[in-house]
Amino acid sequence: MVKRKLGALEKVEADLPNLQHKIRRDPKSYIEDFRAQHYQYESHREIFMAAPSSATDTGVISLRDLIDFISHVADCYPGICKDFPQQLIDMLMQHHLVLETELREKLVGSLVLLKKKELMDSATLLHTLFPILISTPSKTLRALLFQKILSELRTANSKTTNHKLNRTMQTVLFNLVTSDRTSAKGLWAIKITRELWKRQIWTEAKAVEIMKEAALSQNEKVIIGGVRFFLGGDKEREELEDEDSDEEVNVGQVKHQLTINKKTRKKARVAEKAIKAVRNKERKKGNPAPLNFSALHLLHDPQGFADNMFFKHLQNGKSKLNLEQKLQVLQLVSRLVGLHKLHIMPLYSYFQKFLTPRQPSVTSFLASLAQASHDLVPPDVLEPLVQKIANEFVSEASAGEVATAGLNAIREICARQPLAIEETLLQDLVMYKKSKDKGVMMASKGLLSLYRDVGAQMLKKRDRGKEAAMSLRAGDRQERRYGEQAAGEIEGLELLAKWKDEERRKKNIENGLPSDAEDNEEENDEADWAAWNVEDDEDSDIDGEWINVEEDVEIELSDSEDEGKPASKKAKQEEEAKKDTEKQAEADKAIDFMKLATTRILTPADLAKLTELRAQAAAEATLPGNKGRVAAPWTSRHTDDPLTAGEIEGLAALSAAKATREERIAHAKEGKTDRSEHMSKEARRKERKEEQGKSTTNKEKARKKNFLMTLGKARSKNKRSLVETRAVLRAHVDRGKRGGRRGNVGQ
Amino acid sequence: MGSSSKRKKDKQKDFQKPKLRVGKTKAKPDNYTDTSFKSKSIVLTQQSLHLSAPTSNATFTHNLSLLSAKSDSQRRDSLAYLTTTISSRPVNSPLPQPVSVILPSLLPLILDGTTSVRTQLLKLLRTLPAGDVEDHVAQLLPYVRAGMTHLAADIRSSAVEILSWMVDAAGESTVSCAGGWIKTLNCFLSVLGWHTEESSQWSSSRASFGKSGSQGKPMVKTLGALAMFLDAGIGKPSIGGVDSEMSGDEDESADWPFPLCQTAQHMISDSSTPFAYLNLFGKPRDEEGEMYETREDRYRVFSTRFQPAIERGIKSAREEGGELGRASSGVSKVLKEAIAYGPGP
Repeated sequence: MVKRKLGALEKVEADLPNLQHKIRRDPKSYIEDFRAQHYQYESHREIFMAAPSSATDTGVISLRDLIDFISHVADCYPGICKDFPQQLIDMLMQHHLVLETELREKLVGSLVLLKKKELMDSATLLHTLFPILISTPSKTLRALLFQKILSELRTANSKTTNHKLNRTMQTVLFNLVTSDRTSAKGLWAIKITRELWKRQIWTEAKAVEIMKEAALSQNEKVIIGGVRFFLGGDKEREELEDEDSDEEVNVGQVKHQLTINKKTRKKARVAEKAIKAVRNKERKKGNPAPLNFSALHLLHDPQGFADNMFFKHLQNGKSKLNLEQKLQVLQLVSRLVGLHKLHIMPLYSYFQKFLTPRQPSVTSFLASLAQASHDLVPPDVLEPLVQKIANEFVSEASAGEVATAGLNAIREICARQPLAIEETLLQDLVMYKKSKDKGVMMASKGLLSLYRDVGAQMLKKRDRGKEAAMSLRAGDRQERRYGEQAAGEIEGLELLAKWKDEERRKKNIENGLPSDAEDNEEENDEADWAAWNVEDDEDSDIDGEWINVEEDVEIELSDSEDEGKPASKKAKQEEEAKKDTEKQAEADKAIDFMKLATTRILTPADLAKLTELRAQAAAEATLPGNKGRVAAPWTSRHTDDPLTAGEIEGLAALSAAKATREERIAHAKEGKTDRSEHMSKEARRKERKEEQGKSTTNKEKARKKNFLMTLGKARSKNKRSLVETRAVLRAHVDRGKRGGRRGNVGQ
Repeated sequence: MGSSSKRKKDKQKDFQKPKLRVGKTKAKPDNYTDTSFKSKSIVLTQQSLHLSAPTSNATFTHNLSLLSAKSDSQRRDSLAYLTTTISSRPVNSPLPQPVSVILPSLLPLILDGTTSVRTQLLKLLRTLPAGDVEDHVAQLLPYVRAGMTHLAADIRSSAVEILSWMVDAAGESTVSCAGGWIKTLNCFLSVLGWHTEESSQWSSSRASFGKSGSQGKPMVKTLGALAMFLDAGIGKPSIGGVDSEMSGDEDESADWPFPLCQTAQHMISDSSTPFAYLNLFGKPRDEEGEMYETREDRYRVFSTRFQPAIERGIKSAREEGGELGRASSGVSKVLKEAIAYGPGP
């Protein structure tokens, strides 16, 4: 018999994994063995501490194995191992620079393991790992630590938000950023904060404060890290959320596959996991969406921040940022100005010198300028800038793209502050609508239609258009003065009012009242009230019961089931008063729908209807028939969305010179898939099927069948008797009726 | 069928037999690789050709470096070579290399997995002069302790042997060096399984892990070593030793002419690390790692921490009887003497 080869560990029976396994099962019996191993670890540690840098050979068992072993079973003997975590921490903190890589990684892993076994708390772990993260020169260790820190923070926050830990960690990061503003170490704070922001673990103002300090630091990398966070952090967060919700697991498919494929424990586990995930998602759907403010909204003192940013990084001659970085800072500053309606007067004069077509990435500057203008900026500050853009960009002599960009920029500025342009200049610019260049023409028309909306009296009479001219003549459109604010309203409320009105009318018809009951106001009021009540009842069909509560509650509440006790009341005394308001409302149709908001509390059901109506209206607006009523792009934009250089460039592609042949070919090829192989559609389909691992059809199988295998049947077919043929044919017909060989009756 | 006949031809081509002809060289096979090459000269990059044989010192160093070799037979042979070189050197001549150079490469071998290497190592250690070892006990002890608590019983027993050699060679420094007293005693307890009352009972079902080892009677050996160790640590200072010391003192004082007395106290110390107890450069020590330099200290620590456990252990060992009981009587004798002597004069 051949002698079996023995491993080094087997020879001496120094099998730590084996002992570990036994200890796990019966810790009490093996305590002496564990104690011996603990002494062993102590001696090895002593040997190691004598010379941490040199990897001393210690025979069959290394310190690494012992650390691994002890950290795995430490929870069984908390008394013996009470110093163990601290020893590991000391070892790592003091010698992480000279340790050999494997041992170092083992130390980090063991610490995380000990945390998982709750032999140390997360704060200690993070306080150990974080200083090493920012000080170690080893890239692999940094990657490992970063990952461990992140996962630690995530697990700590997985069940409930661990406010205490978050606060300490945020303070540490904040101090890191603020303590030494010139060092690049702040990047780690940025990386961690951004990652946690993305995963919606940190959503509070403190995290934003860290980023704010980072943006105000003196190191370019840190500055740009902070600025990027404000410009893109929220978008990233939204994208991740979408991604999470995208990954759908088809439970039906999983279950079906389980019935067909071979049953293994692994597959069962996969299916269970999928079902669990779906269930979780269902549960999550029921929860109200977390209210997450964007980072720009969570800033304390945006004015101070924007001021600081501007003076420190842009106005300051000593700033070391390059153009691209400066543009990013400028973008952030201008977004803050536009969003919070801040006042930084030097900002506008700062723009002055960049507004020439020769300036690199001038469209970004134009976009930033447009972003930075809002309706509280004094018009006489913006006027020179608009004038300059018009002079530099928009002329007959300038290229089409340049003029387009200029016109678009002016339009964007004027959309935010309509008073920023003089009448004559506007009229001049509008004349470009006759331009032969398509881009310029479109841009000019955009400006024209903007002013038809916001300031038709500034246009020449023939440019005003029918609607604007008529409303001007009627006098219901007035020029908005500087600083004047429109009354706030609920978007789509008029739609709701209209819908309610219609419902009421329908009810009236049902009740035999004239549908158009406006002639008889008294009656209408009565009917109106009846209708309201009926309507409320209708609501209650869906939402729950209506209960009369106290008489002196002044508001009418219609509430949904969720709130437990829906309450609504109708006070008789108030009816009179209500009728009065009603009359007024009838008289003044324009503010009719506003009454809905001022006299009633909108119930969840109302709000749901409101969103539905809004969506419907939006869908209708995009229909081709309603071309005239399509909302202008500047009205549909959300205030939070940034303005990009691409939008300023606009349809510049239209005004570009004719493409060369090569360009045209490239353009044509762009959308097409790789056609290196010319294959028939059928072959392509088959290939795709094969790729997806799907089976072939019976037809295909028959076609592919070896010729020799078919010979026998073909030959026998010829020799069949009439009876046999009949039997075969009958069987075929039968089979057809049954639905295949196996039949599909039962399924 | 054109294509199929063509394919057949192709197939046939693959299996055609090469024709052998008389008088012609055999055709080379398809997969023949031509390995011949032409070169003006051939240079072997590594060759150590000397006209003279290497000196014994060089071989000694070479063998020393071979101690970390992969193959265990190589390590054993090198150890054997070193042993013979040291033992066969002329009397009173110095070692080929100082102990401080030899020892670092010997230390890891205490934990070596191969039994023959460890036995050879012990032989080598025994040849080392005792006086030189004394200074390196602090280096040796962690390895010995690691060996004593090793999972493998063989390594444990050879570590115990090494420890008894150390006590033999440099008993005083073994028990008084940093961590030498408490930690080593702890290891003894753990080897013997005497830590807790429960585990020291002979009837307790001790699920001991690992093989019992091939060399047999490890407990007996350990008890012997423990007796020696205790004797060195807290044993009654032998009269002769004290006498000789005293006489040495007298001699020393006698060396100095009359007006000078106790001058020896003010001279540079004999020991290599006279201020080790100050621990100027190491990290702070805890209670276990502290140096216990006097018998009084050691006795105090022993009586508070170890005496009950050891007495209990001895009792149960005696009850077990046989060889183990006999060995335990040695320990109990040392212990009795030590207790009788008490914390010291």
